[in-house]
Amino acid sequence: MSTKNESRLANVEVIESNFEALNYICNPQIATAVFLAYHLEKPILIEGPPGVGKTELAKTTAEMLDLECVRLQCYEGLDESKAIYEWKYGKQLLYTQVLKETLGEILGGAQGLSQSVDKLHEFGDIFFSEQFLEPRPLLKALKHEEGCVLLIDEVDKSDHEFESLLLEMLSDFQLSIPEIGTVKANPKRKPLVFLTSNNTREISDALKRRCLHLYIPFPDADLESKIVHARVPEVPEKLRLQLVAFVQELRDMDLKKVPAISETIDWARTLILLHSESLDADLVRQTLNVILKFQEDIENVEAELQGVTNRALKET
Amino acid sequence: MTSMIDRTVVDFVKVLRTAELAVSPAETLDAMRALNIVGYEDREFLKNSLSIVLSKTPDEKEAFETCFESFFSFDKFSSAEAQEQQPGHPENDGKFDPASEQQEGGGKPGGQGMGQGGGSGEEASDDEGGLEPTSSLGKLLLARDSNAIMIAIVEAGWEVQVNEIVVFTQKGLYARKIMDAMGLPDLQNEIGALQNEGSNARTNLAGKLTKARDRLRDKVRDYVEKQFFLHADESGKQLREELLKKVKLSNLEKRNFKDVQEIVFKMAKKLIAVHSKRRKQFRRGHLDIRKTLRHNMQYDGMFFDLHWKSKKIDRPKVMCICDVSGSVSNYSRFLLMFLYSLAEVLPKARSFAFSSDLGEVTRLFAQSDLEEAMARTMRDYGNGSTDYGQMLLDFKNNCMDDVDKKTTIIILGDARNNYGDTQSEILKEMYDKAKRVIWLNPEPKMSWTVGDAEMNKYAPCCHQTEVCNSLMHLERVVSNLLRSST
Repeated sequence: MSTKNESRLANVEVIESNFEALNYICNPQIATAVFLAYHLEKPILIEGPPGVGKTELAKTTAEMLDLECVRLQCYEGLDESKAIYEWKYGKQLLYTQVLKETLGEILGGAQGLSQSVDKLHEFGDIFFSEQFLEPRPLLKALKHEEGCVLLIDEVDKSDHEFESLLLEMLSDFQLSIPEIGTVKANPKRKPLVFLTSNNTREISDALKRRCLHLYIPFPDADLESKIVHARVPEVPEKLRLQLVAFVQELRDMDLKKVPAISETIDWARTLILLHSESLDADLVRQTLNVILKFQEDIENVEAELQGVTNRALKET
Repeated sequence: MTSMIDRTVVDFVKVLRTAELAVSPAETLDAMRALNIVGYEDREFLKNSLSIVLSKTPDEKEAFETCFESFFSFDKFSSAEAQEQQPGHPENDGKFDPASEQQEGGGKPGGQGMGQGGGSGEEASDDEGGLEPTSSLGKLLLARDSNAIMIAIVEAGWEVQVNEIVVFTQKGLYARKIMDAMGLPDLQNEIGALQNEGSNARTNLAGKLTKARDRLRDKVRDYVEKQFFLHADESGKQLREELLKKVKLSNLEKRNFKDVQEIVFKMAKKLIAVHSKRRKQFRRGHLDIRKTLRHNMQYDGMFFDLHWKSKKIDRPKVMCICDVSGSVSNYSRFLLMFLYSLAEVLPKARSFAFSSDLGEVTRLFAQSDLEEAMARTMRDYGNGSTDYGQMLLDFKNNCMDDVDKKTTIIILGDARNNYGDTQSEILKEMYDKAKRVIWLNPEPKMSWTVGDAEMNKYAPCCHQTEVCNSLMHLERVVSNLLRSST
């Protein structure tokens, strides 16, 4: 695999700093995964809790390499006609109509059935041909001349069958369309594939085997603070450290849904809008619904709010 | 050199496999390719890379971490090396001894850590004659290069195939073999010869070599120990699991229950994976345009043979009746455990338990965890004297209406009815109504009619009767059940 901006993937440090320039702060594991995915020409399966930047990683990589990001959002019932290709049925039907009407002209002068059939065979079969093919994301990504980043988002939401459909694409960067043949990616510009999964169900071993596996956990306080700084630079440092400490503590609590990085960032933005300089219990209580998405969780945390806030203030 | 890298990877993969990471040959090849790109220079980078290539779940990543740390323990050598240079001794002073003494001191806290200062001073005065050992191992030992020594140990380990080690009693044997492969006999001879010579310098050298040899022995033992933990510990476990699968359930002891539970979960998971994919065409839902068009082309493009997109997973409706009286409680425990684990593929399964009066435990199973569910089932229904007639009557009164032609009924019990009324006509009624009635009997076929056992009356009213007294049997029966349901 090579790409027009290969130098941006020269080594792990370069990748890390390039990501940072695009406001995506990553740890060495993430950079290593991207580095290997490129050099081994393998897709990356990214797992981790929601909101830790799985999808963002693919998008940022596309941006860094200056490639198009082709995205396929998975959902239950997704099948090949939505993911790989679809025939243009309307056109095909019209074609048969046209064919029917002009059949007389085409077969004009043929004597007997066998000659007519021979004539029909001479006639190119374009009913199933690329002209009538509507490419969907996977095929589009393969046929991309410049190479691209293919993001197969939330692959765990799709069915088992769809996973099997992906296998050919992921291991050989090719797709077989029975009527046409095999479509291969440009060997010099293979797409860089990212799959994300929220682990709502176990991904099959066959799929896992074909991928590099990257697990992105919640970041530690240090990294999270850096991320907030990169994303919301206008937050004063003191407030940033406080809110990160607060969120980190929430993650240790027994909640239905713990706040992710995206929620920390939203919260930071909210606090900026409110012109806050520092956390206090009242402020937290008013804005708690930004980071917690279940009434149950909010009630649980409210009971301990004062304590958690004080600890977050003390830590920083 | 490349073959050595490859071999290292293969060995490492083997270690991962014993730690229950399912690493495929394809992934092994990937790891080799990754190594070619990554190289060995940066340990952290190497670890991240291999972790990304070889481990595919968070659990596996954790296990990987442990394996990596113990397999590639480079840091130990390098820290030893650092220590070697650390004491500011004059040039020809700090021979091999002090450094490695320190190293051992680090390994065993409270060891001879403090003795080194004096030791090295003494050595310095000894080192006068410029005598060199002649055997290759002796040279290596006095060359102060602990990396080289470690490499030699590892190579000797490969030679004698230390990774084949299975039980801990082999540790001494392998340690000995490795020492021999490294050239211990030569060294022994040399030491013997030096001691016999008598001259001061020579005896000193002999003493040094002896010390170095003893230290080497410790190192090798250490190495073998580590290899044992890497390679043998888990294969012992695999062996145990295989045995447990075949052993009669009634012979299982309490201490094995934890292992068995693990096996049951694994089996259930396997069955789930195999059977949750069975699908059947649905008769309504989204129209599959592509298929419809394709099929109707032969009818001149008129759509009348319609095809639908939705499919449905067909799963059997299972009712499981477990005898939990004293005589079969061991078996029912496992069947219940199995059913409990299969809940994902058998959402419609209903479980009943009885000694004489039948009670439904489905809800209990759904709400509490395995241990508690088991304990409560046993408390409420267990260990009474058996009455199959009463059980069948209860079933008729409470559940017969729910039995339809899709239902599979599994009865687990030894059919020992204490000479009571068998009520086999009720079983006949179940036989007529249900799709299948399966009787699992933990006793061997020979004793099915002996004593108070009534299998001869019950068996004609069952579609299938099976001996079921090990986990293997159980797995087969349940798998057949799931398959025959489609």
